[in-house]
Amino acid sequence: MQLSTSEISELIKSRLENFSTSAEARTQGTVISVTDGIVRIHGLSNVMAGEMIEFPGNTFGLALNLERDSVGAVVLGDYEHITEGDICKCTGRILEVPVGPELIGRVVNALGQPIDGKGPVNAKMTDKIEKVAPGVIARKSVSQPVQTGLKSVDSMVPVGRGQRELIIGDRQTGKTAVAIDAIINQKGQNMTCIYVAIGQKASTVANVVRKLEENGAMAYTIVVAATASDSAALQFLAPYSGCTMGEYFRDRGEDALIVYDDLTKQAIAYRQISLLLRRPPGREAYPGDVFYIHSRLLERAARVNEDYVEKFTNGAVKGKTGSLTALPVIETAAGDVSAFVPTNVISITDGQIFLETDLFNAGIRPAINAGISVSRVGGAAQTKVIKKLGGGVRLALAQYRELAAFAQFASDLDEATRKQLDRGRMFTELMKQAQYAPLSISNMAITLFAANKGYFDDVPTNKVLAFENKLHGFIASKYKTIADAIESSKDLSGDNEKALEAAIQDFKATNAY
Amino acid sequence: MAEISTIARPYAVAAYKLASEQKALAKWSEMLSFANAVVSDAQMQAYIQDPKVVSLDLQVSFLKVCGDKLNENAQNLIKVLVEYGRLSILPAIVTAFEELKAQDEGTLDAQIIAAAKPSAAEIKDLVKRLEAKFGKKIEANVSVDSELIGGIKIIVGDTVIDASVKGQLQNLAYALTA
Repeated sequence: MQLSTSEISELIKSRLENFSTSAEARTQGTVISVTDGIVRIHGLSNVMAGEMIEFPGNTFGLALNLERDSVGAVVLGDYEHITEGDICKCTGRILEVPVGPELIGRVVNALGQPIDGKGPVNAKMTDKIEKVAPGVIARKSVSQPVQTGLKSVDSMVPVGRGQRELIIGDRQTGKTAVAIDAIINQKGQNMTCIYVAIGQKASTVANVVRKLEENGAMAYTIVVAATASDSAALQFLAPYSGCTMGEYFRDRGEDALIVYDDLTKQAIAYRQISLLLRRPPGREAYPGDVFYIHSRLLERAARVNEDYVEKFTNGAVKGKTGSLTALPVIETAAGDVSAFVPTNVISITDGQIFLETDLFNAGIRPAINAGISVSRVGGAAQTKVIKKLGGGVRLALAQYRELAAFAQFASDLDEATRKQLDRGRMFTELMKQAQYAPLSISNMAITLFAANKGYFDDVPTNKVLAFENKLHGFIASKYKTIADAIESSKDLSGDNEKALEAAIQDFKATNAY
Repeated sequence: MAEISTIARPYAVAAYKLASEQKALAKWSEMLSFANAVVSDAQMQAYIQDPKVVSLDLQVSFLKVCGDKLNENAQNLIKVLVEYGRLSILPAIVTAFEELKAQDEGTLDAQIIAAAKPSAAEIKDLVKRLEAKFGKKIEANVSVDSELIGGIKIIVGDTVIDASVKGQLQNLAYALTA
């Protein structure tokens, strides 16, 4: 028999002391039927929508359908022991999860219970999982950057703190990789990260957690996992739980980043629940409110202003804005973005990073399609130096795509066209980046600066990345002051610009790549 | 599929409205419980469920069995039920009717379950307190269940007031294992 950590006599003593023995008056009902995790209950006349219902065996459910003579509820967790005729009670509470800094570094399920075997989460507070998003007055426009450390994202589709940027693409196009890289790059950026895994294999989640640990990212990350073997109810609730844990930091004037991986699976879990509750199916058999489940979730990702934070903390935190940045992930089928859930989430978010199978297979990783990936608000938040230097990338790639299609048929091209093609090819190559290797602002700026100034033009395409790597190494060892100046000022001023140009020339003159 | 109580409710409400207009609630209650007894009869059940019986035959024979116990309106109710093939839900209609009647009269049925038989004075005091809490007349139905170990449990409709030792021990078990 195993000894549990809750069986310490002091703990039991305090529980016995605090146990109240007053008579309780509660509304109760009788279970009529149990089908696939959905319970119909007769009675419970005063139950509220979304209220927790207590079943025998310390199991809880969520009231979702309130009908005239019965209540439809979904069981959170195992339901095998619930039988027809069981008595269930109202609790008068909305579902809550533990929140706070104690959760950081932990892997929890959709109810906030630890599943990483590191003992209980000693969170001091709990909070409701369904909350209304901050209103217009409480908000502030997005103006600070989230550095993902990916050249292609930070230069072409910048993400700001409080933004919702969708990562969309087919299976096996590196959606999770982009999100994980973004999390890894938050080290030392005053950002708490939350990774919500919905409907994924438990082994995949374990791999992600291991990668985060290896890269030291678990020190500021919470993982909320509702794996494929968890009930549909938990898969549906996991994003809201994660969001509540993120809001804890947002409301206290800190910054948080949340990744929902992925919302397609959440919609599918919700479809299952809805159909079992006999709600009428609509397009693709999704219920009528599938837009609302995503819009109310993503609306909670926001940047809130100083007044809101001050009021929320009762004046304890003054003059600080808080933010919750969301990176929802959507998986498309065969690149079909006009399916129901992808169109919904595209319309809710502030832009999307579009990943394509063709690009991925062609070795362009991250496989970002620069043409249709956009960031609607991130431009205002982009780091100054990247904004200054990265403006040409998008244009060069756009012109390249146009010409490349045309140039396939032409045998000899004029000098200008050839140059533009070469440049496009070089930029495409330059935007490739290895996984788990995010770049710092200074390195990114050096790369973009060198590319803009044409120092990459005479480098053979297959040597571009090697050249870049060596250049970073060279500057870090010999001209560290320039890199440090860029890193601290996040800008490239006149003097530094000249110094950097000289450094690159020095590198090209001395180094073999 | 709609539940039986949902189907039965409109019939019960209609019968109740008619009865209260005619100020004949007691009479209706009597008639309905009689009809209920007839429907519940095993022989009648078999007859109702027999697919070979035409609805008109069923109607005539049912009313014949009831004889002069039903007045014209109640007979009409039976006719409507036979026509719509809903005679089998009559028990649910009667229950709903009685609920409506009790609600109107301002009485609530309270089930009082005690571990040991309470004295008459205790019950009286309890009923008085319950009446104050719910604002309605309480009709107490006292029973004894030694499984409660101690204390009492009161069930009024959907509301349960659990002041039994058993319930508290259960709560303690949850509090310790949670």
